[in-house]
Amino acid sequence: MRFRAKIVDLACLNHFSRVINTIAKLAKTCTLRLTVSKLYFILSDKVANGGVSMWCELCQGNFFDEFQMEGVAAEHNEIYLELVPDNLSRALKTAQSAKAVKIKLTNKHCPCLRVAVELPSLSSSSRIVTHDIPVGVIPRRLWNDFREPSVPDFDVSIYLPVLKTMKSVVERMKNLSNSIVIEANLSGEMNLKIETDLVSVTTHFKDLGNPPWASEDGCQSSAQGRDLENMAEARIDIKKLQQLLAGQQVNPTKALCNIVSKRIVHFILLHEDVSLQYFIPALA
Amino acid sequence: CILHCFLFLLVFGRAIHAIARVSDEFWFDPIEKGLALRSVNSSRSAYAYVFFSSMFFQHYCWTAVSQPCQKEKQLSLPCKLIIKSILPVFRCVNVLERNVEKCSIYTNVNDHHITFQLLCKHGVVKTYNLTFQECDPLQAVFAKHMCPNILKVHSRLLADIMIHFPTSQEEVTLSVTPMKVCLKSYTEEDTGFSKTMLTEIQLNPDEFDYFQVGVDSEVTFCLKELRGLLAFSEATSVPVSIHFDISGKPIAFGVEDTVLEASFILATLSDVEMETASQQPPCVSQRQESNAEAAASKKPRWNGNAPNTGSAKTTSPLAKQEIKSIPRVAKKGTTGVAGTAITEAEDHAMLEGEATESLSYFYKYCIFQFHSLFFGAVCCKEKDAISHTFHSLATPSDAEEDFGSGQSSQV
Repeated sequence: MRFRAKIVDLACLNHFSRVINTIAKLAKTCTLRLTVSKLYFILSDKVANGGVSMWCELCQGNFFDEFQMEGVAAEHNEIYLELVPDNLSRALKTAQSAKAVKIKLTNKHCPCLRVAVELPSLSSSSRIVTHDIPVGVIPRRLWNDFREPSVPDFDVSIYLPVLKTMKSVVERMKNLSNSIVIEANLSGEMNLKIETDLVSVTTHFKDLGNPPWASEDGCQSSAQGRDLENMAEARIDIKKLQQLLAGQQVNPTKALCNIVSKRIVHFILLHEDVSLQYFIPALA
Repeated sequence: CILHCFLFLLVFGRAIHAIARVSDEFWFDPIEKGLALRSVNSSRSAYAYVFFSSMFFQHYCWTAVSQPCQKEKQLSLPCKLIIKSILPVFRCVNVLERNVEKCSIYTNVNDHHITFQLLCKHGVVKTYNLTFQECDPLQAVFAKHMCPNILKVHSRLLADIMIHFPTSQEEVTLSVTPMKVCLKSYTEEDTGFSKTMLTEIQLNPDEFDYFQVGVDSEVTFCLKELRGLLAFSEATSVPVSIHFDISGKPIAFGVEDTVLEASFILATLSDVEMETASQQPPCVSQRQESNAEAAASKKPRWNGNAPNTGSAKTTSPLAKQEIKSIPRVAKKGTTGVAGTAITEAEDHAMLEGEATESLSYFYKYCIFQFHSLFFGAVCCKEKDAISHTFHSLATPSDAEEDFGSGQSSQV
């Protein structure tokens, strides 16, 4: 099992750092899956996470100048590592002016991701800062736990409002209630509602637009033939939603959510080279 | 004595913050030449000293008040303040600079008060009256010039380096050879799989303004306590000098310019194995014996003291007893600080012709307790003491002689 990668371009480095920062805000521990062409940050839906799950996919070619990987075996050319993304975030935080950043999988005393940052210095040779991030190697028999989640059979799919606005609304609502109801219909309308003994607050968004989903095998999805005004709703933990919105450092190219009534809300945030999917289950 | 001065707030505030990182209380020691602030942490593994010469202040007025009841003329009034009470005064130093026009400090011996008065914008006057306790003076003795390894570096560089370590990082190891310098995070975990991220920085000797490595060494010290000095040195933009030796011997970080001087002396970790091989076996073995319960494991431990305050507390009653049994030394004879078996370098007049026997017993106890702080020597011989200036920490060291003479096992 080997892994070596190098980033030389500052813009790529900053972009990568931003992705890592977003992941770090969403999960304390997560799984990093490395393949020849892609990196995945995965959080599977365990009870400990509150049932949320995350799937983040990056094309390595968009970030790394060099990328070499050898998986556990020839026919399973992949590596699954468990790590604390915040460590990676901290290691990259002070690399903003780096000449180069190298990441390598090592196993000196224990498996580590070694991040070596080459910084400019006043002297002839560069200053090198090395961070050893402990990781856990996930054995192949557990790889099934980390399969890509399928898009659920949703009732309504709708584009999200401007994330900054949505974030400030949710943040204020967070002070009043622990749960929030997201409801939306196929006419581009979405409501965020909270209700407590003392107060209920609803924020209405209009003209959001509904993304067209091509049905895979021609069969009717539950979204077809649905009354356009009919709202699908789910009550979710407001903190989880706030975490997702607060973690976004850059405005995504596309942001949408799929609501399965009373079951789950599936968020998809697409950037140029990164896609992030986040599932928040509905509260009982 | 009466002290009256105005001062540059940013630098002074940063000094207070730096000292606050070491301990909750500090010694406020105005003398004729200037104002000295000192503090030592509870486990006696860190000592901070900042001296502002009278020229630092816009106005500095110090008057000695001699008290007829005492035999000697009281040259200074060392007193102790709780730092928590002064910290709010200098809390937001940057904001302070904008709003405060003048700050003056008055001391009032009779009232046991020190007054900080801030004259702010718009005619607002904030007055803080802080009570102090009289206490034995505090001074660590450290022979900087005896250190084989000396590095001098600009504070900006040091800050750039320290930024790579997380703020929660407690200890770091500095290892030097004539070819390179390496700073890495230190963790005590023995287990193969540690959950913490380890950071290491390699530097070229070229990056230092002055680089002298007499002996390859690897010293581990507490970073938290040092950060205060780093912030302070950035405010003064004076280069930082680092004096150190092999592991186990203390490391001193200092800044010095015409109007101020600061020193932070930190204990360094020493390996148990290395101790037994050191050149000073008698002292070491004594310490090992009595710290047996503290050093139950074979792990490297802080030299001369236990990492928890419990041990410091258990030694303090003993220390007080020792002080009382040597009345000359503890001439102020007040409650005193726990474990203040630290020498009074200023009291040279008293040392002269005294019963050296009891004195050397006292100093041996110092060596015993504070091997980590004291670079070998503790006491200054009479003739040296006279030339000893108040605010200098460098002392001609007669380490070997002191250890050799009278190694009685009284301790």
